[in-house]
Amino acid sequence: MVKEYKIEDMAEKIRLLKKTAAELKRISGGIQAVDRNVDRILASVKMLEINIGDLVDISGDDS
Amino acid sequence: MKPEEQYWNPVLETLPREKLQQFQLKKFKNILKWAYENSPFYRSLYKSAGLEPGDIRTADDIVKVPKTEKSMLREAQGREPYPYGSILSVPIEQVTEYRQTSGTTGQPVYHPETWQDWEWSAESWAYALYAYGYRDYDRVFLPFGYSVNIAFWAGHYGAEKIGCEVVPGGVLDTEARILKMKEIRATAFMATPTYILGMADTARKLGLDPAKDLYIKKITAAGEPGACVPATKKRMEEAWGAKVYDQVGATEIGHWGFECQAQAGLHVLEAFHLVEIEDVETGANITEPGKRGSMVITTFDRFAHPCIRFDSKDVIEWSPVERCECGRTFRLLKGGVVGRADDITKVKGVLLAPTAIEEVVRDIPELGDEYEVIVTKKGDIDDITLKVEIAPDFKRNASAIEQKLVQQLRLKTGLRYNLEFHDYGTLPRYDVKAKRFKDLRHKE
Repeated sequence: MVKEYKIEDMAEKIRLLKKTAAELKRISGGIQAVDRNVDRILASVKMLEINIGDLVDISGDDS
Repeated sequence: MKPEEQYWNPVLETLPREKLQQFQLKKFKNILKWAYENSPFYRSLYKSAGLEPGDIRTADDIVKVPKTEKSMLREAQGREPYPYGSILSVPIEQVTEYRQTSGTTGQPVYHPETWQDWEWSAESWAYALYAYGYRDYDRVFLPFGYSVNIAFWAGHYGAEKIGCEVVPGGVLDTEARILKMKEIRATAFMATPTYILGMADTARKLGLDPAKDLYIKKITAAGEPGACVPATKKRMEEAWGAKVYDQVGATEIGHWGFECQAQAGLHVLEAFHLVEIEDVETGANITEPGKRGSMVITTFDRFAHPCIRFDSKDVIEWSPVERCECGRTFRLLKGGVVGRADDITKVKGVLLAPTAIEEVVRDIPELGDEYEVIVTKKGDIDDITLKVEIAPDFKRNASAIEQKLVQQLRLKTGLRYNLEFHDYGTLPRYDVKAKRFKDLRHKE
């Protein structure tokens, strides 16, 4: 791959998305219309982690 | 072409091998730890083997992890939490989709999907469909039953994720599906090789030439080995005037392999799976090309029903091509899934893969698409019968066709057959997966 992508920068934004979504759920007061849509957002965020976020420090052990 | 126009994820798909292997080891450790901590089935399996997740430090340690197989999954299900049993690794309230295996090899295996796992399924399909050239301008027709079996469900959502316009052809019959595909000018569809050929046959009966009267440019073939059998692929591509791409997966595993446009073999989706090839007789790990074995596969990042070192019984071999011209670093399998370890059987002392017979039959243009193989025993001796159809317009050449068939079968399979020639259209037709190989020896 010749082209360089901003992996670290993207990973940071993905972490921020996840944090924001979790925070939204924390303050939802149990409103299902919020909680369930946040779950869907988090599923999409997980795909971003799989595609980009998990590449950061691939030699590390996050277990 | 820019990398992002060529690959769904240019970073993962062209990751240098060394980094890809580090990535896989990290992912393997993660799913192993998850399963150990969340699934009573896996915890019990590993404790019995004296294994803890921390014991796996290097790639060489992975073979220490006990394998699983379908019979173990079947045994664990049907209990609480019902119906998934002790493999379930998330609270059952998080399960949002029910799927099950087709039951081709026995009792179906129930498969739970959380919303996240289902998103994963669509994501994995997006890698394949993008490699085949599906783009947001494609109108993709899905001619399958939208039932409890997973079939092309994830293909639907994978195409949607890419931005394609997806047309569900669920309850329509084959004629109605073809007419709808023509009416809306669908540019791609997905089906089993059996059904791809069957649809072409039906279109011709409607007076349509699929290659000229429809608008299909790409076909995803899955569910059976056909698209990597050269003669079958050729028939499908000629019938539809379209490129046919092989795609492999299973309910328990998810989608795990695809052809790129170079069509030099089947790429393993290595960012999502670890594939090992095991020598069926010795159990040794096969890493070099040219030697067939049974696939042992681990799926990363699918958490409700983990799939770790699952012996799928798919027979595969590594390709000698080290780097595909498409630029992907995902390793290639030669000829895709060659068959199933369950299907490869000894007949008259010779190892026989049903796909070898298919390659012979479909390579003779005077024969129809359908065939049937029946193995029986006469006394102590195996007896094998091959039923074929002569294509319309070739009936007068029957003896020359028979001669060609006998020669090719002898050459490619090393066996002599009782040959039966049937009228065109009289052998069974199948809508999804075909059952053309019938070994009746154990029943006699």
